[in-house]
Amino acid sequence: MDIAIKTIINDVQRQLLENQVDIFLGYRKLDGHSIPHGYTRNNLEELSGLCISQNRYPLEKAATRLAQKHPNLKIGLIARDCNQRSLNVLYTWNQLNPDNIKTIGVNCCPSPVKDHGDCSYLEPRTTGPYKQEHGMDFNASPKDLVDTMTSQDRFERWMYEFNKCIKCYGCRNICPVCFCKECSLEHDGLVEPGVLPAEVPVFHLVRATHMAGRCIDCGLCEDTCPAHIPLRLLYREANEIVSGIFNFQPGQDMEKSPFSIIGDTIEAQLTPL
Amino acid sequence: MTIKRMAFVQELLKFMGLEGRLHLEWISSAEAQKYVEVVTGFTEKIRQMGPNPLRDMARKER
Repeated sequence: MDIAIKTIINDVQRQLLENQVDIFLGYRKLDGHSIPHGYTRNNLEELSGLCISQNRYPLEKAATRLAQKHPNLKIGLIARDCNQRSLNVLYTWNQLNPDNIKTIGVNCCPSPVKDHGDCSYLEPRTTGPYKQEHGMDFNASPKDLVDTMTSQDRFERWMYEFNKCIKCYGCRNICPVCFCKECSLEHDGLVEPGVLPAEVPVFHLVRATHMAGRCIDCGLCEDTCPAHIPLRLLYREANEIVSGIFNFQPGQDMEKSPFSIIGDTIEAQLTPL
Repeated sequence: MTIKRMAFVQELLKFMGLEGRLHLEWISSAEAQKYVEVVTGFTEKIRQMGPNPLRDMARKER
């Protein structure tokens, strides 16, 4: 066991014993795969299995669910940079109370399916081998797509991608900043149940719209998607539009999303006729 | 709020290759002339662009 993880285990044990946190969300190994696990005061002996995972899970999403049931629960968790960004989003949307959250920061690391270069927050922005093979290789900026493809080609490509959707809702379920109690993608009137493919392109554009000003570009949606739809590229574009029009970057600080502020002045330009 | 959302949707549709099919204009009830100009102009623009490609897709699916 290396020193770094030993320090973390000691920290967690101390925080639990001193009642700084009631539950600590980390990882434990199960059959060679790291899975999320909640460590508590009552199971201190489990702490020796605490590990930092190469696999990524949205621990902050688990924290949000816990906080919905137990609003005063003090939650600790292991946080990469992306976890930290989504925590900021969850704070500004009042889904979590920052006073009840304590994080232990760890380094970002590549997940098994892709190089860390796919994260737009890390330099250099190179495309991982997995994505090169299966995805759309426009990693630096979605604007490349607009510049290099005609609108006809873009339309056909996206329709092809969206038609692959098997409506597993994996992108929504894994998303750390998806927290609505009622999801419009499960509304029978909007999305017909039991029909595949989900209405193209409305299903995905609804999600993209909801991600605008909220998505923190962790890339879990694309990692999860069994149909290899380049969701990250789509949501990144949604966010670049937001940052272009409103100069807003989700998760960077505690600023509220521009779509949640009514009545402020902006310099948005509508496309002329 | 409307202008924010419309500007966003216009850009998103452009990314999907569906640009130019969404338009927003503020017209007062006293501006009949402007209303006619905008509606005529937009209708003409859409006519030149042809039917929405999504329409054919919806037909194929059913």
